[in-house]
Amino acid sequence: MIETPENKNRLIKIYHGPQHPGITGNMSVELDLLGETIKGARTHVGYLHRGFEKLVERRTIIQAFTIVCRICVPEPDPNEENFARAIENLAGIEISEKAQYIRVMVLEMARLASLMLWMGGQSGSIGLGTVGQWSIYDRDLILDLFEELTGGRVYHMYIYPGGVRRELPEGFLERLTQFLDYLETRLPLYDNVFFENATFKKRAIGVGVVNREEALKNGYVGQVLRGCGIKRDVRRDNPYLVYDKLDFEIPTFEGGDVYARAMVRRQEIKESIKILRQVIEQMPTEGLIMQKIPKHRKFKIPKDDTLVSTESARGEYNFYMAGDGTEKIRRMQVKGPSLIHGFTLLENLLIDEELSNVAMIMNSLGICPPEIER
Amino acid sequence: MIESLKKIYEIEDKSKRLFKMVIPQNEFLKTLNFISSSSNFITLSQISCADWIEDEVFALNYILTTDKRDKNLMVEINIARDNSKLPTLLKLFPQAEVMERDLHEMYGIEFIGNPTLYDFALEDWNEIPPLRREFDTLAYVNENFEFRAGREDNKDVKAETKRRRAEAKKLKAKQEAEK
Repeated sequence: MIETPENKNRLIKIYHGPQHPGITGNMSVELDLLGETIKGARTHVGYLHRGFEKLVERRTIIQAFTIVCRICVPEPDPNEENFARAIENLAGIEISEKAQYIRVMVLEMARLASLMLWMGGQSGSIGLGTVGQWSIYDRDLILDLFEELTGGRVYHMYIYPGGVRRELPEGFLERLTQFLDYLETRLPLYDNVFFENATFKKRAIGVGVVNREEALKNGYVGQVLRGCGIKRDVRRDNPYLVYDKLDFEIPTFEGGDVYARAMVRRQEIKESIKILRQVIEQMPTEGLIMQKIPKHRKFKIPKDDTLVSTESARGEYNFYMAGDGTEKIRRMQVKGPSLIHGFTLLENLLIDEELSNVAMIMNSLGICPPEIER
Repeated sequence: MIESLKKIYEIEDKSKRLFKMVIPQNEFLKTLNFISSSSNFITLSQISCADWIEDEVFALNYILTTDKRDKNLMVEINIARDNSKLPTLLKLFPQAEVMERDLHEMYGIEFIGNPTLYDFALEDWNEIPPLRREFDTLAYVNENFEFRAGREDNKDVKAETKRRRAEAKKLKAKQEAEK
């Protein structure tokens, strides 16, 4: 911030993160404070730069597949789906209907797990510790199901170019149904303790308000858009897999503030459960889970490029991929929701907010730093 | 809306909802200005770059999205790899600032008019921009880092696998001979 006669010697500069419990991962926000009020904000990343995009260029397609899920820790599956779909688009592989249903199931389970993790972070940012303990417990039950299905709890490496890697274990869909029944009984409790909580409402309503007019033009995605009352969702607008065969709503909320984004997420939990129930009902019993693909050292993609999008739990997630006719990928560029939300939006949204609201606003935008620096 | 653009530009249908056009470098600002103001492709969702070192070009794809977010248009320009300069899109799209900053750091492309082309994910980086094809990660690691102590007896994986297989084969032959 520029020093003026009014604020001379009164501005304090602090770093909010990366070692701060209220930051959403390995990043920091450099804040200029006048008392408790923020007058300037700059985002810094680079604390977790692992160079995945460069590593991918040195590996064969299947070797590259093993690292893409690590791009975003809370939500690895949209990365796997984007990677697999981009390769399939370029190589001209069509996957079976059964594999598509299984992928939708995995993506919706990942969405639920991610929303549960978000609930823990969002409630923790205003001191409601109990909610986080409950929601992380519920997320763990989803991770149990993931472990049974894929062998991994956090990173699954399950959505593979050509389909999915394993058949559903016997009785898995029944156990998933039992979990969904359980989760539905938990939702009224979450409403009482968190979404309808007077403390949360008082803290969140009217805070971190996103300008509706610039939301579309500036490329905001996910709950940031839907919290402004703008109905946009890749699953509906640019459908992939079997989402066009499923019946679900795109929840929106007016206000554009932290509370609106939280309420959109609350409805999304409900919609995800609805989608999963339909998937369980419609899951084909017959069909290949995996198409025949070349051996990994002979798996080549033609010289061409493509763009694929998936709706992650935080918004639109894009992969640009270019092949050069060899068994290696020429370029894979990842663009998650956090790049624009963490810089263009957050730096402006924090101006004139209180210091105590920084963590709450960051959580509500769903910023995941690992996907910014890849 | 894409139909009206097709009357003006040569646009390839990559899929039902993905389109691509290639334009010369000197027309790119004018073209992006025109498309974003006169069609429903109003949002810049991504700037991607691929290094085609054999053709000595960077292929930059400016990916525009409709207001309904149902279609994507890739506007490609090919620019020279060395001393590459482009005007910034900051005035058209504020989100271009961080995307250009990323590309500046990773490829060394100069975006004229962007005031924030300082460190992004890397800190005090003085080497070749790392996503250029000529940057060799393995050579960089070998030059700048040491192996952790206790790994001095590390063996070459390929040579060791070969040696073990030969040993197993020898043992098997010996056992069969004894029988």
